[in-house]
Amino acid sequence: MDCGTCDSAPTLQVHAPEVVDVSLTMTEKATSMLEDAFGDDRSHALLVGVLSGGCSGYMYDLQIVESTETPCQELNINGFRVLVPSASSHLLDGIEIDYVDRLMGGGFKINNPNASSSCGCGESFS
Amino acid sequence: MGMVRHDAYTLLLQGENILEFINGLSTNLVSGPCTTVFTNRAAQIVDVCEVIPIGPNVALVGFGPQKDQLVNHLSERILDQPITISDLSNLNEVFIGLEDGQPPTGTTVHQSLFGTMYIIPSKHEWQPTWTVEEWTEHRIANLVPFHGHEIRANVHPLACGLGELVHPQKGCYVGQEVLTRMRSRGKLGHRLARLENPAEKATTVGATHSLVLERIQ
Repeated sequence: MDCGTCDSAPTLQVHAPEVVDVSLTMTEKATSMLEDAFGDDRSHALLVGVLSGGCSGYMYDLQIVESTETPCQELNINGFRVLVPSASSHLLDGIEIDYVDRLMGGGFKINNPNASSSCGCGESFS
Repeated sequence: MGMVRHDAYTLLLQGENILEFINGLSTNLVSGPCTTVFTNRAAQIVDVCEVIPIGPNVALVGFGPQKDQLVNHLSERILDQPITISDLSNLNEVFIGLEDGQPPTGTTVHQSLFGTMYIIPSKHEWQPTWTVEEWTEHRIANLVPFHGHEIRANVHPLACGLGELVHPQKGCYVGQEVLTRMRSRGKLGHRLARLENPAEKATTVGATHSLVLERIQ
């Protein structure tokens, strides 16, 4: 394979979605669970991201981080720092972060008005 | 033994965790060189690609007419991952068949589901050693599906002889729920079959036999 000239091979234009100003909400239950997780410490933030993959093409990714190198929009929701990667903003605008308390499939749950479909486990959407 | 020219594109994906990225979007378990299928949410084929690690990067070799669809399929899902896609198609020629002699310097030899694949730098002007008819007869004799014949955009991989590229246990990927349901319920719809000529709705026609996607349910 001719890779000696890879650097001169044309880089294809990848789909660059429009960055939108994200607004999101958090239910009382989710807020309560975050209060338990964070305590009084507000130095960390909740990163709400999207990864490729899953049955429907995208998967939610929730992390607690101090900071990130990923370009993000920072929001203050119910007193918590919430980071949303700009590249995923079009997929996450308008979401509601909820917490579901049940033995199987419990935990944080994203209700997304942008999702045209979700897979059975609820972690993947398109 | 012989090789036929394949109407293929060659893309180079550069960045971090490329194999994981491909694994999350395709039907086979991708951890090294392999053939895998990118499907949409309805489990219809976007393209069947050869995955060829090249150092830290990964080459994807697929069917030329499907290049734009595959690039769109991937690029929509890159999001903020540090992945770039370069097009090496004009720099390389792709041949497929049964291994034939010593390929020229710089050739990448890859074992595909369809046979041995040579990706040869275009500057060598290597010529095919099989005719299309010889390749066709080989495919019919060995029940090998191929791009543009059995493998088409409105077909799902279990219906056109690509079942071994659909890993049963790898977990989620786009189209996985549909394919798993088809398998578990035994409702595959069609299967690849070799029939004597004349065969109705043949997808590949040979001298005496043809390949068809035979309805089974």
